Amino acid sequence: MKVTTAYLALYNAAQACGWAAILALLAIGVAQRETPEQLYDRAAPLTKLVQGAALLDTLHAAVGLVPSSPAMTLMFWVGRGNALFAVTEPIAALHASWWAVAMLGAWAAAEVIRYPWYAATTLGACPGWLTWLRYTMFIPLFPLGTLAEMALMWAALPELQSRRLYSLALPNAYNWAFDYHVFIRIVLLLYPLLWWQLYSSLLRARAKKLGGGGSGSSKKGGSSASSSGNGGGDGARPPAADILRQETRTKLLKAQ
Amino acid sequence: MKLEVVSRSGRSIATLDVNPDSTVAELKKKFYGLKKTYYPARQRFALPVKPGETRGQVLSDDSKRLSDYGLADGGKLEFKDLGPQIGYSTVFFWEYFGPLVVYPLFFFLPQYLYPGTKLPAGGPQHALVQKLACGYWCFHYAKRIVETFTVHKFGHATMPIFNLFKNCGYYWGYAAYVSYFVNHPLYTAPNQTVSVACLAVAGLMQLGNLWSHLILAGLRKPGEKDYKIPKGGLFNFVTCANYTFEIWGWLLFSVSVQSIPAYLFAATGAAQMTQWAIAKHNRLRKLFDGKEGRPKYPRRWIIFPPFL
Repeated sequence: MKVTTAYLALYNAAQACGWAAILALLAIGVAQRETPEQLYDRAAPLTKLVQGAALLDTLHAAVGLVPSSPAMTLMFWVGRGNALFAVTEPIAALHASWWAVAMLGAWAAAEVIRYPWYAATTLGACPGWLTWLRYTMFIPLFPLGTLAEMALMWAALPELQSRRLYSLALPNAYNWAFDYHVFIRIVLLLYPLLWWQLYSSLLRARAKKLGGGGSGSSKKGGSSASSSGNGGGDGARPPAADILRQETRTKLLKAQ
Repeated sequence: MKLEVVSRSGRSIATLDVNPDSTVAELKKKFYGLKKTYYPARQRFALPVKPGETRGQVLSDDSKRLSDYGLADGGKLEFKDLGPQIGYSTVFFWEYFGPLVVYPLFFFLPQYLYPGTKLPAGGPQHALVQKLACGYWCFHYAKRIVETFTVHKFGHATMPIFNLFKNCGYYWGYAAYVSYFVNHPLYTAPNQTVSVACLAVAGLMQLGNLWSHLILAGLRKPGEKDYKIPKGGLFNFVTCANYTFEIWGWLLFSVSVQSIPAYLFAATGAAQMTQWAIAKHNRLRKLFDGKEGRPKYPRRWIIFPPFL
């Protein structure tokens, strides 16, 4: 086995374990009927570690270890990082919100499927049901996670404004002013757009992977099945429309 | 000869009866005669995909004959609509005109553009660096407009019209963002000697950029369409010497005004130019491979020695 394959398999397995532990913590807490604040206190420390470490997904994409787009993976990581570290962490009131629990839960539920899928695919031993889960569970989980992030950002706005968190006022030596609360307002406006970009690319990937794409994907399909794409969407894959066009052209050629 | 025109999904659009010796331009005129929505600049034709290719060869040279592309009676052509087109010079003019007008607005009309900020009585007070920066910025964009109409030779005549809004949004937006902070009543002027020196060197970089543009414009003789190895000036060492000078210019401008938005603008521009430069460098290296009598592309920096 190549060193890179072993490394990726280990990395993805470690992430899978991390997220499984987070999900288990939340499950235990829910079983004990804990308050949102208690649930958050249980799960947040490990989530910060695991989600922070997920920056490696971007590094892997940037050095070409995996075929994902570094830009997409970074955008995904920054979005989550912002929601967890910059918005929810510093504002105590948000720890007591069910949205925070929903966010952690949705992330964990999705990752506990995605990372094992990457690990299994890297090793070339991915069962069909795992592929099905990976390309299906995102459908409810991704919107739930995104909604929770947006709800938390929205709820944070008043305190972000009053505490002037991460903001810079003039005059200063950088000759720049930055109002983080205004920035978050703009981010909230852009979120649905950015979310749709990732979501639709996942839907296209789903159509290709699950919707009889096995036959048409020829060489691209072969490489993607054995690759371990990390991060947000399979951004490096050609969209389904291009595959269709390619197939039609081949048919036309044969007919000529 | 008869040629069948198909869409990219395989649907037959039209059949054209043309002379094998007619040019691509004439083909496009004929197609325009049949389909009035698609004026020639919007049309893109490609040959069917051959085995081993990912996409069919595009009929990119309007002056070439159809027979040159190997088209014969009964052949197929794949048509793509490039969308509404707009001239390169038109886009360049409007995207550069914005910054030329928008930047000075914050300099001359702060009373309207900084609502809520107390202004000094007796009109705006600007440090020397703010005045010089405004002059530098305007000179830069005036130079770009003049170059658009007198120096640049464009490889393509048109681009998709959506680019007009995208490019103008970028240039006009950044012009406002940089100008707002550099001309702010609460602007903190940095060391004047350093600032003036930086702007002076930046001016030299502008001259270097102009010199590079003149070299690029002189590479092809009128009517030539092929790629050439750039020579002369900094091009002997860097593939995209024009970008080198441009990046230095904006870097020095940023150091001169000491404002984060200026650095952000410089970084964004540098990132885009780097993408283009890598593509151009690779294209030239692939073309000038030293085989079959072609010259070999010399070892050169891509865009910004000593880094890339």
